[in-house]
Amino acid sequence: MSRETWQEQLRRGSLDLAILLSVSSGPRYGLAIIQHLEAFTDLVVTEGTIYPILGRLTREGLLDAKWVEGEAPHARKYYRLTRAGELRLREMKAEWLAFVDKIGRLLHAAETSAR
Amino acid sequence: MNLSQVGESRVNGYLFVFERSLKSFLPIDIVRDARREIESHVRERVAAHDGSPNEREALERILAELGPPLRVAQAYSAERIIDEAVTTGRVVPIARAVWQLAITTVRGFFVGLGLLCGYLGGIGFLLVAVIKPFFPQNAGIQMKNGWPVGISAQFPAPAEPLRGGYWIIPICLILGFAILVFTHRGARAFLGRSRNKLRNPRDPRDPSVLR
Repeated sequence: MSRETWQEQLRRGSLDLAILLSVSSGPRYGLAIIQHLEAFTDLVVTEGTIYPILGRLTREGLLDAKWVEGEAPHARKYYRLTRAGELRLREMKAEWLAFVDKIGRLLHAAETSAR
Repeated sequence: MNLSQVGESRVNGYLFVFERSLKSFLPIDIVRDARREIESHVRERVAAHDGSPNEREALERILAELGPPLRVAQAYSAERIIDEAVTTGRVVPIARAVWQLAITTVRGFFVGLGLLCGYLGGIGFLLVAVIKPFFPQNAGIQMKNGWPVGISAQFPAPAEPLRGGYWIIPICLILGFAILVFTHRGARAFLGRSRNKLRNPRDPRDPSVLR
């Protein structure tokens, strides 16, 4: 597997978590989610393809979508976490932290034995 | 930034291609919602470019960052159609998903062709089983030089009579159902793999991949 492919899979695999985290503090519309990801991570997405992912998360019942009129000259579709989304996010966060911890220990062990 | 007439035409052209690509695969209410969301995104981006001296350049950059309309539509429909097919396992969503992959990827085309042969073969055996009791001379085992070459139903009845009595009915039923089940499971497995590939693509040039 090439480095690019590995990086790609790593980023892609963490995107669902990143999107759920983006809306965990409150409802956001698509572009605001993209801008939030750009501000805090290097998970810069191809903008047009974040919407299918948002659609999937909505179909899975993790997000709830609602059109809001009058806030801007055009309507905005806001996404917010559902109860199921909150539970999933909690699980994903715990799994992510455990995963990072395991890999961290593995890295530490490899560095220690190399010395 | 307020768009000029040319700018509006460019945006409408993008949305037209996007909407038209989606219409082939998705229900109209979902297509309208998707178009509205993409339009909202473009308008939002355009508004943020207030004061930009070169409208054309700014608009092209916005649309390039969004991605080509066909590819965005493909990402939309593939996510939804394949998801529905794998989750429900129903024939119509599976047929729609296989069709979508068949017309967008080379691998999908050949797998789709194989699946079509499988479904038609299974249905063919079942039809022979149904026809045999009503037209016993028209359905049976086809012989060539004393060897069986296939089971078929022919109208009008062939010059060389078809062999096989009513005992071919259960055989055709078993073969037909077995082929249909095998083909259907194959279709679901193929779509499941396609869905995983879609969510974890290996090709960094894939438009659905993060930059």
